[in-house]
Amino acid sequence: MPNFFQGGGRGQQPVEPAPAKYMWPEKDKATLLTTDVKRLDGPDKVAGRARYTYDINRPGMLYGKIVRSPHAHARIVSIDSSAAAKAPGVKAVMNVKEPGAEVMYQGDPVVALAADNEEHAWDAMRLVDVKYDTLPHVATVEQSMAPDAPQAFSGGNTKQGNAEENGTPEDGFKQAAHVVEATYATHVITHNCLETHGTACEWDGDKLTAWVSTQAVHGTKDGFARGLNIPAANVRVITQYMGGGFGSKFGPDSQGIICAKLAKQANAPVKLMLDRKEEHLDTGNRPSATAHIRAGVTSDGKLCAYDAQSWGTGGNSQTSNFPLPYIYNFPNRRRVHKDVYINAGNQRAMRAPGHPQGCFCTEILMDELADRVKMDPVAFRIKNLPDKAPNAMWGEYFEIGAKAFGWEKRHPTGDPTPGPIKNGYGCSAHRWGGGGSGTRAHVDIAADGSVVVKCGTQDLGTGTRTIVALVAAETLGLPVSAIHPEIGDTEYPQSGGSGGSTTAASVSPAIRVTCGKALDALAEKVGPALGVDPTTLVASNGRIQVKDNPSKGMAWKDACKLLGTTPISVDGQWMGGLSSTGTSGVQFSEVDVDMETGIVRIKRILTVQDCGLIIDKLLTESQTYGGIVGSISFALYEDRILDRVTGQMVNPNMEFYMMSGPSDVPKIDIMLMDRPDQRSRGVIGIGEPPTVSTAAAIANAVRNATGVTIRSLPLTPAKILQAIEQEKAGGTL
Amino acid sequence: MAPKDDPEKPERFSVTRRSFLKTAGLSSLAAGVTGVAEAEAQTAGARVVGPGDVPVTLTVNGRRVDLRIEPRVTLLDALRTRADLTGNKRVCDRGTCGACTMIVDGRAVYSCSTLAIESQGKQIRTVEGLSTGANLHPVQQAFCDADALMCGFCTPGFVMASVALHEKHPNPTLEQIKRGLDGNICRCGTFTRIIEANQKVRGVARA
Repeated sequence: MPNFFQGGGRGQQPVEPAPAKYMWPEKDKATLLTTDVKRLDGPDKVAGRARYTYDINRPGMLYGKIVRSPHAHARIVSIDSSAAAKAPGVKAVMNVKEPGAEVMYQGDPVVALAADNEEHAWDAMRLVDVKYDTLPHVATVEQSMAPDAPQAFSGGNTKQGNAEENGTPEDGFKQAAHVVEATYATHVITHNCLETHGTACEWDGDKLTAWVSTQAVHGTKDGFARGLNIPAANVRVITQYMGGGFGSKFGPDSQGIICAKLAKQANAPVKLMLDRKEEHLDTGNRPSATAHIRAGVTSDGKLCAYDAQSWGTGGNSQTSNFPLPYIYNFPNRRRVHKDVYINAGNQRAMRAPGHPQGCFCTEILMDELADRVKMDPVAFRIKNLPDKAPNAMWGEYFEIGAKAFGWEKRHPTGDPTPGPIKNGYGCSAHRWGGGGSGTRAHVDIAADGSVVVKCGTQDLGTGTRTIVALVAAETLGLPVSAIHPEIGDTEYPQSGGSGGSTTAASVSPAIRVTCGKALDALAEKVGPALGVDPTTLVASNGRIQVKDNPSKGMAWKDACKLLGTTPISVDGQWMGGLSSTGTSGVQFSEVDVDMETGIVRIKRILTVQDCGLIIDKLLTESQTYGGIVGSISFALYEDRILDRVTGQMVNPNMEFYMMSGPSDVPKIDIMLMDRPDQRSRGVIGIGEPPTVSTAAAIANAVRNATGVTIRSLPLTPAKILQAIEQEKAGGTL
Repeated sequence: MAPKDDPEKPERFSVTRRSFLKTAGLSSLAAGVTGVAEAEAQTAGARVVGPGDVPVTLTVNGRRVDLRIEPRVTLLDALRTRADLTGNKRVCDRGTCGACTMIVDGRAVYSCSTLAIESQGKQIRTVEGLSTGANLHPVQQAFCDADALMCGFCTPGFVMASVALHEKHPNPTLEQIKRGLDGNICRCGTFTRIIEANQKVRGVARA
C-alpha cells in the first residue's frame, strides 16, 4: 500500500520548484481562489443529466452478474452452468474459479454470466449449480485468535508484526504516578458507496472502452491491461461522474475484469454493476482495531510510558495496521501489532485509513489519564503535544476551538445535574498527510478565445472538475464559465488516483503551471502587438495587460485573435512549491445522552482545520461537513455484523446497516484556518482530515456526560445502557 | 398462462392485499392438481399476467411511454433500462435509501419498490421532468446554490423528495424538512446543506 494511504503524504521526493511567476497569488491579488465558486456540474447532477457508470446504456448491451460463494470457507467440488447457459437471454457464462479452488469468504466470486436483461440474468444465476465442501471458518477476531481455533488460513490465522519501540517502557512506568490499563476497540464498517462498484465494457476489435466507477482512471486502465494481458494502449477508461468511493475504488477489481471477459465472450457490450449486498461483501471495508494499552502519567501531567499490544482484522488476507499511539508524545513506548485473518471480504483504504482507529484508541485513553491527574482534557492534551510546526498546530487550534466552543462550561466527568438527560463535552485531535505530485495537464487556447483544460483526473464528488476550472480561470484572468474542463478519461494526461487527499494538491499545481505556460505563449503574441516586453504582461479581469499599467493591454478575445491559425496547445505538470503535505485539526462535540434509553443525541460539532491554500471555500466546507457526518455514522450507527456461526453478513443492506440520515446531523461549525502561515504552504487536501476525529470527540463527550467510559465503537444504545448498569454495579466494561 | 384478454391491450392490473392472499392460498392448495392459472381463473376478479413480457403503458413526465416488460420489473428499472431515464438511481433496491424517489400521483414513492405494471394510469414524475434546458426547478436551483450535493448519486432522490415536500408544505419548518427527507440517505454527508437548501426554496406551488 503506498505511503500516502497511511497519511504519510505525497511530495516526499526531491522536487523541481515552480518558477516564481507560477506561484499562487497573494490573497488580496487573487480573484477566485478561496472564494465560494459553485460546483460546475451541479446543474447536471440535480437535473439527472449527469451520466454515471450505472447509467451507461449501450446498443445491444448485456447485463453481467456474478454468482458468489454463500459460504465463509469452502472448497468448490463442482460447477455446472449448463442449465444457465441455455436459459433465456443468456449470452455468456464463465467460471471465475475452478473446481478444487477454495472460497475464502461469503461473496467470493465463483461464476459469472451475462444476459440480455437483468431479469434473465437473475433467473440464470439461480440455475448455476455449484457444489461445495464446507471447510472450518472463523467469523470473528476472537474465534480466529482462540487457542483451539480451526486453522482457516494456510499461513496461519494471525501474523505477528515487529515491535515499534522508542525508549524503555519499564523505565517510564517507574516515573508514573498513575497508570491506566484498558482495552480500546473500533469495529469494521463498509464503504457502502451509493453507486456500487461496477463497469460497462465494450470491445472494438482488440480495443477496450470501459466506463468504470473509479477513483483512478489511469490506474484502472493499467489494471485492465494487466488483468487481461493486453497493451495499456488498447484500453480507454471513462469516468465522467462517479457515486462515491471513499478509498474503495482504485482499479477494475474482479468485477471489472469479469465484465471485460464476458463482453469479449458475448461479443457485445456488458454492464456489470454490483448489487447492495455484493457492495458490502466484496468491495472493501475499514479494518477493525483493538488495542490493549498500559499508559503512565507523572503527577504533574506528563505522559511517561506506553506499552500496547494491538490487533485487528483486514479480512482474509489484508493487514489491519494503524498508527498508535496517535499524535501525543508518549516517551518510553512499545507497541506490537498483530494481523488477524477471518473469513470475510478484505479491507481497502477507507477515508483516512488507520487514523480513525488510532485516534479513538488514543483519545479515550487521554481523557482517562487527564482525569487521573485532575487536569482539564484540553490543557492535558496541550501539555503533551509534539512541538508546534506548520503541520502540527494542535495546541493553537485547541485554544482557538475551546474558546469558540465555550469549553469553559464543561463540567468534570459525569453530568451532576438531575434527570435522565446528561450533557457532555468532548474533544480530539487528528492529522493527515495529503499533498501532491506528478499530475500532468494540457491546455488549448483557440483564436476564438475558448479555453479547454484537459487532465486525466476524476471527480469523486469532491469537486475536482470545478477546481480545474477555477485554477485555470484564476491563472488566465477569466471567469470560471470561460473554461471548459475535461477530466475523467484516460485520453487526457496522466494524473494519479484520488486517494490520501492528494487530488487537489496534485491537480491544482498542474493546472496552474500549464495555464501559466499557455499564458506565456499568448504573451509572446500580444507583446509585439502592443509594443511591450511580453514578460511584463499579466492576465487580469478578462484582459492581457501590462502589469501596473492596465490601460496598456487588450481584451482576452482580441488577444486570442492574434493566434490566427496557430492555437496555443501546451502541456505542463505539477511542480514543487505549489503544494505541501501535512495537516492538523481538532474537533469538539457536545452530546445529550438519555440514561434511560442509551440514546446519544449529538448537539453540535466544532472543527478547527487547516488544509493549506483553500482553492474553493464552498467545496472545502462541503468536504468537511461530509467527513464529520461520516464519522458520526462510524461512532453511533454503522457496524458490519457477521454471524458467528455461519460467517455470513447479517446486515448487507441499508436498513440494518445503519447510517446517519438528515435528522441525525447536529449543528456543525467549521473554522478553516485560512491564514497566511497556512496559505503560504500551498494546496494540501481536505478529503480525509475531518473524518478522523469526530468519533473520538463524540465518545469523550458521552463519557463526560455519563461518567462511564465506553472503550469501543459503535456507541449503540444497548452498549451504553449495559455500561451504565455495569458502572452502577461497581465494574467497568 | 397468457391473459385471456387481448395481450396487446394494456390494462390496469391491480392486486389488493385481500385478492393476493386469496390467490396465494388457492394457488398453494391447487398447485399440484390444477395449476396456478386454472386456480386463479376460479377466483373472481383475479387475473394472471405474465410471467413473460406484457405491454405496459406509463405516463412519465406527461409523455406516454410504451414498454414490453415482465410484470416483475420495477418502475425504477423499467425507466432506467428500457426508457433510458437514468436520472433516478438504484442504490439499495429495497425501499430504504430514497435514491429512486419519484412522484407518482403527487406522492413521493420509492420506485425501486413499485412495480411498473402497477403504475399504469398514474402520473409519474422523474427528476428529468422537473426542468427544461438551463431553467432549473426552484428546488434544483437551491441545491446548486447551497452546494447541497457532492458525488450527486443521492441527489435526484433528494431533489424529488424535496419537491414533494414543498408541494405539500410550501414553506416547511425545519421539522417538516427533516421528516420529509428522512427517507433518503446521502453517503457523502451533505445533509447540512440539503436542509439549508430546502430552507431557501421559494416559489413552489402547493400541489
